[in-house]
Amino acid sequence: MTHCPRCAHDTVGRLATSPVPGVWDVLQCHRCRYTWRTTEPARRTRRDAYPDAFKLTADDLAAAVEVPAVPPLRTTP
Amino acid sequence: MAYDDLRGFLAALEAEGQLLRITDEVLPEPDLAAAANAAGRIGEGAPALWFDNVKGFTDARIAMNVHGSWTNHALALGLPANTPVKDQVETFAARWDAFPVAPERRADAPWRENTQQGDDVDLFSVLPLFRLNDGDGGFYLDKAAVVSRDPEDPDDFGKQNVGTYRLQVIGNNRLALQPVPVHDVALHLRKAEERGEDLPIAVTLGNDPVLTLVAGMPMAYDASEYEMAGALRQAPAPIATAPLTGFDVPWGSEVVIEGVIESRTRQIEGPFGEFTGHYSGGRRMPVIRVDRISYRDAPVFESLYLGKPWTEVDYLVGPNTCVPLLKQLRAEYPEVRAVNAMYTHGLLVIISTAKRYGGFAKAVGMRAMTTPHGLGYVSQVIVVDEDIDPFDLPQVMWAMSAKVNPRDDVVILPNLSVVELAPAAQPAGLTSKMIIDATTPVGADARGNFSTPVKDLPEAEEWAARLRQLIAAQG
Ligand SMILES: [Zn+2]
Repeated sequence: MTHCPRCAHDTVGRLATSPVPGVWDVLQCHRCRYTWRTTEPARRTRRDAYPDAFKLTADDLAAAVEVPAVPPLRTTP
Repeated sequence: MAYDDLRGFLAALEAEGQLLRITDEVLPEPDLAAAANAAGRIGEGAPALWFDNVKGFTDARIAMNVHGSWTNHALALGLPANTPVKDQVETFAARWDAFPVAPERRADAPWRENTQQGDDVDLFSVLPLFRLNDGDGGFYLDKAAVVSRDPEDPDDFGKQNVGTYRLQVIGNNRLALQPVPVHDVALHLRKAEERGEDLPIAVTLGNDPVLTLVAGMPMAYDASEYEMAGALRQAPAPIATAPLTGFDVPWGSEVVIEGVIESRTRQIEGPFGEFTGHYSGGRRMPVIRVDRISYRDAPVFESLYLGKPWTEVDYLVGPNTCVPLLKQLRAEYPEVRAVNAMYTHGLLVIISTAKRYGGFAKAVGMRAMTTPHGLGYVSQVIVVDEDIDPFDLPQVMWAMSAKVNPRDDVVILPNLSVVELAPAAQPAGLTSKMIIDATTPVGADARGNFSTPVKDLPEAEEWAARLRQLIAAQG
């Protein structure tokens, strides 16, 4: 089973597959949206080789700020 | 010489020996980004890079580093390849005076050749997408011109914006967009979201080289980028009507993506290795639903490497950041000779100016910080005399070393605004700012001993031009 290298989530989808069959897939984490190609270096594709500085936890994701903030709905036309 | 599309410019670069075709098979990662990163490390004449043999793809054509040297920047403006940077900025500023030049609408846009729409939309099937830096959250469109309109004034051609914003591909028909709050697309989005409406948007990829320059230029809210492109090209900008949004988009684009920014929605985006040479962290950003893609036969995918400066983006936004500051400063202070705002999008600016009276240089520095671009960027200003070329860093360092008395010539102003991406800001968006007055004091300022400067020989300037010509003729 493939885990997300960045947030360790266990649900990963496939966004694309190589036009030349069987060369690579593009995968995406369903939680943090991290996207990677299976032929990229281990430092981008494997949880155990992924740099700590770029790892995200569920708490990090929940705390991510909105940019720009959603403005209040205008009440008068 | 004005180029109507990217292909025309690439052909011109090749004729000048400024397009390097990489014919060996390369990996999409890390090779494409690593090659473009390396182009920024090999000197000021680096060529554009062309890849069409990328592992796993059958039909990829990728152009990178198209604006990534002073040589290519000069050629984009139709100038001789070895034009000095200061002259490129002056030409840019002089052509600006022709603004506005009305665009020319054409019906036969080549991107009408192919269409995907609705459920058939698949960005991955049209674009050979790839990652740039290790810590990037995914694959990015980072050299697009993004077109949007003011929802409260959709028929105002000038308020229609054409800007460059980073776009992360987060699905087959979805993109995340970073609108910096001070930028025009953020104003458009705010108005739409206050009404609870989606904001229609067009993303055009692979544009003519001047349109790309203009899209990255800080311009007034109601000034048309197409009318500025016409001034800089010295020929009307060719535009066409996008089929879904009805927006005005470049006639010559390789790919036109249309859809909407979904109202009042944010999703995780990033990080991305930014122009500051640092990653911006993961944040919740607006998302685009793509409803239609129009593209030329055999489209060229243009992308840009950015990371630790200097990279292509620094050439791309260097001169076009200098010119608005130069114009705005000169409007009130005609003594200003030249402005170098090429370091990290103008976070640091070097200004050369004549002085009216003692203390004048510090006033020029403060004005730079209160221009529209300065509000979000200019955090350090070095002011030098009128006989210093601010683009010649050894001259600037000489002025700093010989003319600055730190106690009196360094001014620090606390708690001023800056873009959130500025890594040194604390908290994000707020910073202190500094002026270094490296000018020679004039009355009533009588500090120092500056009465006998050494000057360049009167014949030296003519000799510099002669030497440049001889070197160019050598080929
Ligand atoms: Zn994840």
